[in-house]
Amino acid sequence: MMTWVRYTLPAAAITSIASPSYAMQYLSIDEAQKQAFPSATHFTEVQAGRVWKAEAGGRIAGFFIFDRVVGKHLYIDYAVALTPGGAVHSVEILQYRESYGGEIRSPSWLAQFVGKTSGSALKINGDIRNIAGATLSSTHVTEGVKRVLAAYGNRLR
Amino acid sequence: MAIASDKVRRARPLLGTFVEIEAAGAAKSKMDGAIDAAFEAVAQVHRLMSFHDDDSDVSRLNREAWLRPVKVDAWTFRVLEAAVELHRRSKGIFDIAVAPTLQNMGLLPRPDGDPPIGSQARSFDAVELLEGQRVRFGGRGIRIDLGGIAKGFAVDRALEVLRGFGLASGLVNAGGDLAAFGREPQTIHIRHPCDPRRLMCRVEITDEALASTARRFDLLSSAETTGSAIIDPATGKPTGVIDGATVRAGSCMMADALTKIVMICGTGAIEWLELYNASALLISGDGDVRITPDWHHAVHLAA
Repeated sequence: MMTWVRYTLPAAAITSIASPSYAMQYLSIDEAQKQAFPSATHFTEVQAGRVWKAEAGGRIAGFFIFDRVVGKHLYIDYAVALTPGGAVHSVEILQYRESYGGEIRSPSWLAQFVGKTSGSALKINGDIRNIAGATLSSTHVTEGVKRVLAAYGNRLR
Repeated sequence: MAIASDKVRRARPLLGTFVEIEAAGAAKSKMDGAIDAAFEAVAQVHRLMSFHDDDSDVSRLNREAWLRPVKVDAWTFRVLEAAVELHRRSKGIFDIAVAPTLQNMGLLPRPDGDPPIGSQARSFDAVELLEGQRVRFGGRGIRIDLGGIAKGFAVDRALEVLRGFGLASGLVNAGGDLAAFGREPQTIHIRHPCDPRRLMCRVEITDEALASTARRFDLLSSAETTGSAIIDPATGKPTGVIDGATVRAGSCMMADALTKIVMICGTGAIEWLELYNASALLISGDGDVRITPDWHHAVHLAA
């Protein structure tokens, strides 16, 4: 039978600020447009910086809408691709940021990670690519998509 | 000709969280196609197993399976088989039939006309699996929610799709339930369960899955943690002794499900971790971290 190995996290580790900001850039607007409408030959800006019409060989392939939801600690850029009929074709996250404002107190937190692979240094915006923990709710994006649909679903035809 | 790029990572809102998929070591067009197909597998699990979607297998079961056997998709049946087996082996600790308790707490919606159901523990024959992918419930008051296992299953299916494209490596992360394949180990940072702004440790995984769970929090409205959404079937109440748990296992479905047992049983979960060749890290209310001995070499704590 296995037994647990017990550690006590020093108080210093509990209070240290591990990640003052965490950002992930997935796709640029250009890349997301091509991703959503691979066959499109032309994107026309219908509303500056927000709505584009995708065309393929003179026919409308669909619409691409850029939007942003802002929460207390999160800023999420996302894009909704609509079919020519105004239905959701896909929803893609473009950029995701967690920000904690003035809480950057100790950049030396990096040195606090001990372990058998101490050679692999952590960088705040470099190496932290995978964060696990409790689930982040995507409710705000889901609500945003509903707003986008209500605003554009019937208008863009 | 396609231009080789080292990796592509994209994210979509699915399964009530953000699902990230990364592909590496192939032509850009191939990686894009692989990620599209992998997202489609996650979306399919979402359509089949969402408690919130009226047309899902889960909703059909909750409406009709107490009246007559209901045929479900092969994927739903696989998840139910795993859930029922784990329910039996864990002597009822893992239980997909705690949905009424979550409804009574306001954590799951109650469809119109669906009467409140008591939160008492369910009997072992609540969910009966029949020939031909059919499912029957043992009584009118049974409501299931696959939220404790389907996310892990979705990660496994998405990873399987990525593997099928012959990529060098791939990673799927559904809000903390994640799995990876490839020769190089992937470094995962785990949030402190009591403060999602802090990272507690990092773990390296190679060809395996990791699932983490903690008291609920939503960074969009508050970084404060609140009560647990994990219900102890024996008491019908949220668990409280353990603040957070991370489980490593061969499949993400099993890692996902085992986190629920660890949250309920604490150190007592070791019996089931061994049974499924899994490892775990748990953080108790007093700030102590406990790691199974087979795994502590791979976990690098902030210290």
